[in-house]
Amino acid sequence: MIEVRGLTKRYGDTLAVDGLSFDVEPGKVTGFLGPNGAGKSTTMRMMLGLDRPTAGEVLVNRRRFAAFGEPLREVGALLDPGSLHVGRTGRNHLRVAARTNGIPQRRVQEVIEQVGLDRAARRRIKGYSLGMRQRLGIAAALLADPQVLLFDEPVNGLDLDGVRWIRGLLRRLADEGRTVLVSSHLLSEMEQTADRLVVIGRGRLIADASTEEILRGLGNLRVRVRSSQADALLTRLRERGLTVARIDAHELEIEDGTAHDVGDVAHDAHIPLHHLSEVRPSLEHAYLDLTGDSVEFHGRAAGAAPATTADAR
Amino acid sequence: MTAPSATAIPRGGVSTGRVLIRTCAAEWTRLWTVRATWGFLAAAAVAMVGIGAIAGFEAAAEAPAPQGDPAWAVAPVAAMPAQFALLALALIAVTSDYATGGIVPTLQWTPRRGVLFLARTLVAVGGATSVGILLGSGSALAAFAAARPSLTLPVGEGLDALGTIAFVVAAGAAFAVGLGFLLRTTAGALVTVFLGMLVLPLLLPQFGYPWMSALAEVLPGSGAAFLLLGQVPGMTETSSVVSLLGWAGGALLLGWLRLARDDANR
Repeated sequence: MIEVRGLTKRYGDTLAVDGLSFDVEPGKVTGFLGPNGAGKSTTMRMMLGLDRPTAGEVLVNRRRFAAFGEPLREVGALLDPGSLHVGRTGRNHLRVAARTNGIPQRRVQEVIEQVGLDRAARRRIKGYSLGMRQRLGIAAALLADPQVLLFDEPVNGLDLDGVRWIRGLLRRLADEGRTVLVSSHLLSEMEQTADRLVVIGRGRLIADASTEEILRGLGNLRVRVRSSQADALLTRLRERGLTVARIDAHELEIEDGTAHDVGDVAHDAHIPLHHLSEVRPSLEHAYLDLTGDSVEFHGRAAGAAPATTADAR
Repeated sequence: MTAPSATAIPRGGVSTGRVLIRTCAAEWTRLWTVRATWGFLAAAAVAMVGIGAIAGFEAAAEAPAPQGDPAWAVAPVAAMPAQFALLALALIAVTSDYATGGIVPTLQWTPRRGVLFLARTLVAVGGATSVGILLGSGSALAAFAAARPSLTLPVGEGLDALGTIAFVVAAGAAFAVGLGFLLRTTAGALVTVFLGMLVLPLLLPQFGYPWMSALAEVLPGSGAAFLLLGQVPGMTETSSVVSLLGWAGGALLLGWLRLARDDANR
């Protein structure tokens, strides 16, 4: 269990994290989402005592992280996979970790096999790919079998096989009752793995709800329809009281109603259809709607209105 | 595939003393598992044993050959240049973690910063000092072997020489470790060590201004040079010891304050 209470971090004039409060519960994969510069990594660093909060606190299993004598037995974390001495071998990197927390050295070999680094463990880390470094970081996180796990962008640099592996790993860890917090900018990935989402923008909490709630709270199913007589269809649909938006000359999107309703209208009016489908708003859309003007770095002006947790629900 | 692990990992309270011992063991593993450590050790060994051997051969070639002079006399002289390899070793033990970002996992595994500071200082300073004593002995033995049978190895003088080397290397390594924690960059800390231990003590008196000479006398390099070589004008044994301890203690204090107060590596 991780409890974040009023967490604030200021760097000079910049407020990186602004009064953030949320809980990360055991038995679930909690996705930690936000655009670049939103404060995700800073928040995770404060959870691990690396950065000192300007205000507020984080409790892990009801204690401050810095109070742990054997922190690896409580919390396993993967932050920046490039943050390690590349002159050491992978095995020696893990040996150091094991020694700090009094973990038997044979456990090092177990986690090396667990993450699939058997053949690379004796090589110096400077020869590792980003994916291999990710696996090494995950091995260190799993070393002492902790109940709380934090992963900052764990799929970065992994190939497809690695992505599937990490997906299964996160699921299993949560199913074993562990507290799992994962940050990622790959929103489709979160849609598949996260049970709950904490969304932040410019250091502030935007949404804290289950993935389902966030998806549902942003709108019902929409209907996409293509027809060579789109104008006539649009008129008929509006006559039925449906809210219709034109996508292009031949395609319409109906915000309320079902594919069944649209099909009936088209049939009654003898309008041919070339495509008819129901579309659930993806987390990608939900995320963009939610973070709207919270994006610090973007290539165009953000147009969406600010969203709140309540909106998401 | 994931936990629970096959290896039993007991949980429970652990004393701060045990955490410190474990952290020292980890620091020791950190030191010997990187090539830079072995490079600095090799440099120090070549300098000390090499100077000892050369001094021994020179003594043997003298006419008449010295009879009964202690071979230990060469050890502090050899330690003067060789100490810099040991100071660099101690400094790198701290700054490499900042240069590589390794401080992030380090503080994840040892979040009690006081424990980390103490363990890293003890291992780096203790390691450099132990090697200094070992290589001091090696230097004297090399001189003794090269000049045999001209030189001797009296125990009393040996303890004096090795004690002096141990003190100078320990104080210098502590100064370097403190600067490492304070400045966090290898280049910055290394330049500062060289300025304080070598360049400024040699350079400042050359300008002829009394205040510059006085400034040179309080720098750690002057104290180290007096204790090792005994040829620094204006220095006494007491002033040398006080100067070295002051610089070492000051650097460690400032280094500790930065580690304790600042973010890990920002």
